[in-house]
Amino acid sequence: MKLSCTQENLAKGLATVGRAVAARSSLPVLSNILLATDNSRLKLSATNLEVGINCWIGANVEQEGSTTVPARLLTDLVNSLETERIDMELITRTQTLHLKSGRAEANIKGIDAQEFPIIMVPEEDSRVKIDADAMRQMINQVAFAASADDSRPVLTGVLVSVADGKITFAAADGYRCSVRSMDLEGAADRQMSVIVPARALQELARIAVEQDQPIEMLVDTNRNQVYFHMQNVDLVSQIVEGVFPDIRQIIPTTYNTRVHVDTTEFLKAVRSALIFARDSANVMRLQVVSHGEGEEGRLMVTASSPEHGDHASELDVTMEGKPIEIAFNGRYLMDVLGVIDTAQVLLEMRDPSSPGVIRPVGGADFVHIIMPMHIAH
Amino acid sequence: MSATQRWIILADLDAFFASVEELLNPALRGKPLIVGGDPRSRSVVCSASYAARAYGVRSAMPMSRAVRLCPQAVIVPPRHGVYAEHSRAVMEILRAITPAVEQVSVDEAFLDITGCERLWGTPRQIGELIRRRVREERQLTISLGIAATKLVAKIACDVGKPNGLVLVEPGEEQRFLAPLPIERMWGVGKVTADHLRAYGVATIGDLAAWTEERLTATFGDLGRALYRGARGLDDGAVHAERERRSVSHEITFDVDLDDRAALERALLGMSDQVAAQLRRQNMVGQTVRIKLRYPDLSIATRQATLEQPTDQGQAIYAQARALLRRNWHPGQPLRLLGVGVAGLLEGGGYQLELFDASDQKRIRLNRSLDEIRSRYGSKAIRRASQLPPGEKASGEGDVDQER
Repeated sequence: MKLSCTQENLAKGLATVGRAVAARSSLPVLSNILLATDNSRLKLSATNLEVGINCWIGANVEQEGSTTVPARLLTDLVNSLETERIDMELITRTQTLHLKSGRAEANIKGIDAQEFPIIMVPEEDSRVKIDADAMRQMINQVAFAASADDSRPVLTGVLVSVADGKITFAAADGYRCSVRSMDLEGAADRQMSVIVPARALQELARIAVEQDQPIEMLVDTNRNQVYFHMQNVDLVSQIVEGVFPDIRQIIPTTYNTRVHVDTTEFLKAVRSALIFARDSANVMRLQVVSHGEGEEGRLMVTASSPEHGDHASELDVTMEGKPIEIAFNGRYLMDVLGVIDTAQVLLEMRDPSSPGVIRPVGGADFVHIIMPMHIAH
Repeated sequence: MSATQRWIILADLDAFFASVEELLNPALRGKPLIVGGDPRSRSVVCSASYAARAYGVRSAMPMSRAVRLCPQAVIVPPRHGVYAEHSRAVMEILRAITPAVEQVSVDEAFLDITGCERLWGTPRQIGELIRRRVREERQLTISLGIAATKLVAKIACDVGKPNGLVLVEPGEEQRFLAPLPIERMWGVGKVTADHLRAYGVATIGDLAAWTEERLTATFGDLGRALYRGARGLDDGAVHAERERRSVSHEITFDVDLDDRAALERALLGMSDQVAAQLRRQNMVGQTVRIKLRYPDLSIATRQATLEQPTDQGQAIYAQARALLRRNWHPGQPLRLLGVGVAGLLEGGGYQLELFDASDQKRIRLNRSLDEIRSRYGSKAIRRASQLPPGEKASGEGDVDQER
C-alpha cells in the first residue's frame, strides 16, 4: 500500500470513524482503524462490533493495499501534523506503516488487515430516505430518553418505525418516554420497524452535521443489521432484538390540569432548582395554582437540599383545569425542555402519581412523557 | 496566647429505662426493678434500678443471672418507643442550652458549652440548670461530668453517679484521675485491666507514672492512648449531629440461627419495620446495611447502595437479602441479625415506574397497612411468614413472594 492524502482530510476521516473504536476490547484489532485503498480513495473503518463506521477520503493511490493501526496513536499523530500532504507506505513484511509529512516521519506498528472484522454493506433490501437535518433533530429529541442500563437491552434502543407514510422514533428508559414522528415522502407503502441502539443513532446525529444529502436507511433482517448510507460515510449497527413496549398504551389521553408555559423561562427555573435538587435525588416540585381571572395561573418550581438550602421560582402561565402539586425528576425536565425549540410548551397532568405529558405548542409530532416521583409525606 | 477555656459536659440519665418505668408506675418506685426480656430466654438486662443494682444486677448481664442475684426483682419488658419519647424531650432540653450536642446513646450526650458563660453562667451553674430542668420538666434525674475534655467529663460523670454533678477544674485532671481504679479509664475493659494489674498498675495514677515509651513498648497504640488518658488529655471534639443518619432494627436470636429461610424471614420482618419507621418520619434512604453477629460475638456489617432511595420494605429486603446471600455461608450460625437504612433524605422521593404499576400498588398497600397498624397496633396485620409458628392458618398463600 502506498498513497498520499491531505492532513485535513485524514484528520476529518479519523474523527468520523474514531467514535466507533472499541474503548476496551479483548480483541486488540478492535482498538485499531482499518486503512484500505478503494479505487482512488482511502477507506477508514472502525467497529466495536455493535456499531461500525466506514469513511472514504480522497487520496492519490500509487499501490493498492490495507492494514490496521492503533486508532488513538494515528489520530493523535495526524492531529499534531501541519496541514500538508501526508505520504503513507506499508512495509508489508513487518506490518509497519511509514508516514511522512514535510520533514516529519513516523513508523507505526500495525496488525494485519485480515484480522479486522468485515463491515458489510447490504446489496439491497427495504430502504427509505430521510433528510439529514430532520434525522439529526429527531435523534436529539428522542435518543436521550433511552436507558443506559444494559439489564433491559430493548430499552437501550430507539424504536424506528415506518408506516402510513410516516417515520416515528420512540425511546423509553422505564421512567420517561420520548416520541417524535415525521412525514416521509415516497414511503406511503413502506412498512418497517427496528430497534436501533441509541448510541449508534447518537453517532449518526454527530456525523449527520456534515451531511447535506438525504440519509438512506436500509434494514437487513437476515443479518440483523441496519445501515445508514451517507455521502462518503456508512454507519452500520446491530439491531436490538426483542419487543419494544407498546408506547401508545402509556401516552395519557386525558388530563385534569394543562399549563401553557414559556419554554425558556421554564427551562431557566428548572436549571436553577436543579442545583438544589441534586442533593436530594433530583426531586423537583411543581405547583400549579390559579391566579387572577379566567385562565391565569402560576407555576411554582421548587427544590431543596437538606444540607444547603432551597430554591423557588414562580412563572406566569395559562392554565386549564384544577390546581395540582406534583414532583418530577428535575434532570428529566431539563433534558426534554432542552430539545424543544418552540417558544411555548404544554404540560398536561392527571394526578401526582400519573404520567405527565410535555408537548411543544404548535408541534403535533413530538410528545414526551415523564413519570412523577413519589414523595415521602 | 491560649484559646478560650474549653468546657465539656457529659450528661447521662440515671438508670434511664428503669427510671421511666418507675415514673409511669409509681408503685414500683424504690423497688428492685429490672427492664429486660424473659429470664428463660437469652435476653439481657436493658436497665436496672439502683435498688436492683444493690444486689449486683448490671446492664447487659444475662437475665437468668440477674434473677438469680435478685429473685424478688420486678421484671418489666422494655418499651423502647416510650423511652425514645422521654429521651427526645431530654435532648431538647440539652439543645436549648447549646446546639453543640453530640448524642452518644438514648440516655447520654456530650455538650460543648465553651463560651456559654455570658448566656447561662459558670459551667457549674449551667450544670445545675440542666439538672433542674430535667427534674422539673421530665421528673428524671441526670448525672453530669464537667471538664475541659470529653474523656475527663465522662469519667467525672461515672464517679458522681447517681444523681451527681462532678466538675473537674482545668489543671486538676491528673490529681482527680490518679486515685481512680484503672477500669474507669476510657478504653480499658476487663481484659486490659487484668493485664495492667499484672504489671502492678491498679489506679490511673499508677499508669501516669509510666513513661510514654514504656507504655507504647508494652501496649502498642493502646499504650499511647493510655499515656494521654492518664493525664486527662483528649482533643476529641463534640460532634453535633443535625440529622439522624440511619434507621435500623436488629434481633438477637433466642438460640443461634443457621437456617437460611428463618434468617430471611427475620430480615423481611425487620425490613418492613425499618420501612415503616422511614415512612413515619417522612424519610427515604438509599443505603441498605446488614449486621451479622456470630456466636463468638464478632460482628460483620455490609452495605450496598440502591439505585434510588426508598421507604418500601420490599426494596430494602431485596437488597438486604442479596447482601446476606453474598456474605453469609449456609449453615453458619448467627447470634444476631440487623438491617438498617442510611443515606436518609427527609421529604425525599423516588421515581415511579412508567411501564409497571406494581410500585404504586405497593405504596398504596403499605399506606393502608400503616393506617391499620397505627389504629389497632403493630401486630394487627402481618405477613403470613411473620406469624408465630402455630398461628399460621393452613392453606394460606405465601405473600412474601410478591415482587
